[in-house]
Amino acid sequence: MNFWYFLTALTLLSASMVILSKNPIHSVLYLVFTFFCISGHYVLLNAQFLMAVNIVVYAGAIMVLFLFVIMMMDLSKNSPDSKSTLTKLAGAILGGTLLVILIAASRKVDLKDVKPIDAQTGMVEGLGQILYRDYVLPFELVSILFFVAMVGAVMLGKREAGERNF
Amino acid sequence: MTMLTDFGYILLFIIAAIVFVAVILFLAKLIRPNRPNEEKLTTYESGEEPDGNANVRFNIRFYVVALIFILFDVEIIFLFPWATVFGNKRLIAETDGLWGWFSLVEMFVFVGVLLIGLAYAWIKGHLDWVRPEVKTTEYESKIPTSLYDKINQKYSQ
Amino acid sequence: MNAIIALSLFGISNLFLGFLNNRKILLPATLVFILIALGLNFADWNHEYYWFNNMLKTNNLSVNFVTIILLSTFLVVAISRSFGDDDEHSHPAEYYAILLFSAVGAIMMVTFENLIMLFVGLEILSVSMYVLTGSDKRSLRSNEAALKYFLMGSFATGILLFGVALVYGATSSFDIHGIAQGVAKAKEQMGGAYGPLLYSGVILIMVGLLFKISAAPFHFWTPDVYDGAPSIFTAFMSTVVKTAGVAATYRILSISFPSVYGLWGNPLVYIVCATLIIGNITAVYQQSFKRMLAYSSISHAGYLLITVLAKRPETNSSLLFYSLAYAIATITAFAVLMVVSEAQAKNGKADESFEALNGLANNNPLLAFSLTISMLSLAGIPLTAGFFGKFFVFSDAFSNPSSLFKWILVIAILMSTVGIYYYFKPIIAAYMKKGEVAKIELSPLYKFILILTTTLTILLGLAPDLVKNIF
Repeated sequence: MNFWYFLTALTLLSASMVILSKNPIHSVLYLVFTFFCISGHYVLLNAQFLMAVNIVVYAGAIMVLFLFVIMMMDLSKNSPDSKSTLTKLAGAILGGTLLVILIAASRKVDLKDVKPIDAQTGMVEGLGQILYRDYVLPFELVSILFFVAMVGAVMLGKREAGERNF
Repeated sequence: MTMLTDFGYILLFIIAAIVFVAVILFLAKLIRPNRPNEEKLTTYESGEEPDGNANVRFNIRFYVVALIFILFDVEIIFLFPWATVFGNKRLIAETDGLWGWFSLVEMFVFVGVLLIGLAYAWIKGHLDWVRPEVKTTEYESKIPTSLYDKINQKYSQ
Repeated sequence: MNAIIALSLFGISNLFLGFLNNRKILLPATLVFILIALGLNFADWNHEYYWFNNMLKTNNLSVNFVTIILLSTFLVVAISRSFGDDDEHSHPAEYYAILLFSAVGAIMMVTFENLIMLFVGLEILSVSMYVLTGSDKRSLRSNEAALKYFLMGSFATGILLFGVALVYGATSSFDIHGIAQGVAKAKEQMGGAYGPLLYSGVILIMVGLLFKISAAPFHFWTPDVYDGAPSIFTAFMSTVVKTAGVAATYRILSISFPSVYGLWGNPLVYIVCATLIIGNITAVYQQSFKRMLAYSSISHAGYLLITVLAKRPETNSSLLFYSLAYAIATITAFAVLMVVSEAQAKNGKADESFEALNGLANNNPLLAFSLTISMLSLAGIPLTAGFFGKFFVFSDAFSNPSSLFKWILVIAILMSTVGIYYYFKPIIAAYMKKGEVAKIELSPLYKFILILTTTLTILLGLAPDLVKNIF
């Protein structure tokens, strides 16, 4: 339990550093750290497979993509903050309200009659049995989702004659 | 002292790795001579003289390749849970062997759709890199090639 | 259900048809594909059936929704004119394939029985739309629209997913009927253990879905995105995506959460009123026809949501009728807008303002007439389909005993009259304003679609029972 508090504090700290740091590359590195912390939470929840997936896909692959995006932007020019103070204030109030409401709601949750998990919960095998037996259809349709994403990305990413060349 | 779980050991290893690296670097700092000059402080670029800023804009092709990589990365992830249940003896016995075929076909369809996507991107030429064109010069030399051959022969012995 | 599999296969084969280097074959092929899917869809008529471990459920209601979605897709594809003859910059094979895939997503959203299916369907639909919005790569506005849509849309999807997770935590089920049982149980032990989780979850799911159908106050992306996207895809977005979104909202709220009506009904009342007022009032001030249609689509989301609120057995049919009337009229309007704005293009940029329509009736009577009928239908003038759409929706609201509905009705009727003002602007421009639009040559298919949609609008306005009895 104490370890949970430590991990949570670390997660929140690194997550807020993502948006607070001025240098985008630092933001990405903090984000990687946040993903590792979240993987730690998965371990505490007995979901080892999700931890591995989170590290491989998010901390690995998605981060590469983020870095490419950052490198495609021109960072040498320092653009000034375009948001006015009023916008920032309004955003902070709205986000804060949602946070307060969610915290207040989850404080009311009574967890007395939660079923205790057994040692097999969250194991790869259980996931596989559910995913490939009960959830066949969504699983196959996810491939269509990937297909659309691939075709779309490839189509949009192709550079063409007459396109704005930044 | 409570027993450590298996993941507790992993955590210990992670902490040990960090501590080890920190100690080594600190020791190295203590015992190495510190005489910086401009040559030493420049970015190492395989022995070349560094030229220009490293923060240049990347070609968007890298991005497309990275995106295709992510899609296949996620596909591989889906193969792991599948591998644990594909050969499940109990399920196969329960369904009279049907389960094996079912899960095999299931995964073939999934991978097949993504392979078709890859084939599409390939045929369309999105995976081709723009190569620098190799140009042969049109210049006609006045010196006949037989002369070169003679020289080559003379010195090759 | 079979339509989903067929459309996925057709979408893939459509991509490879693009390699034939014959652009002419793509349009008829896609139309045939959609017709086949439509035929497969009718095979489910009068069969109530669960597919793949309760992932999907087909019944007559879902068949009707799928028919509206496929019909809209058919009409949009038919007026696409193979996306021009510009070989360099347009990729018709990809566009048609993505349109077919997004139809798959839309069908999943109206037939889902499991929240995972809803999520995957929503994602397929949204990702397709992000791509199509940005498909005009040379236009800065299209790029901007795609980026805005993508950022806000993925945020909304995240909110929806958070809601699904909370509801799962409260009811330990993804199945919409299972959730209904879980909700009933949670309600039994009032203020029970999972109450707060459930309540936040329901609200977050609702917010995520309302974003997709652009109800106020989640509508801010709509004008920019509809305006920036190529017109043909705007037509698709404002019909298919909206129908699928409203159907999904209706399905989940009416099946899973009827026992906590007060929880989602009360906010929805304000959302409906805000949507009606903001959509209609802002539409009055628009100078661009396309932007006006974007705001009009916001206001129609408001009318559609009244049926979701009314929660009566006969709402099914009025929701279906309204969606059908709205889809047909909107596609007609976009069909006219597309050809006229291209004919009136200045400096290679399509002119989408009302002025572009000035004097349209002189040389193009068919276009002007179709425009008039579609505008009258959207405004809800009698003898058009739109009138009966509004009539059925309002009578649903009126027959609801709650006094709150009387107020919604007052606002809705007031806003309909505001609507008449701005829907008459293009008609006045076409018939009364001085201007010159050269005779626009239309392909036979284009003419046929315009005549078909106009006839349908009038036919449904004269004899709504033809369709209403089926629904």
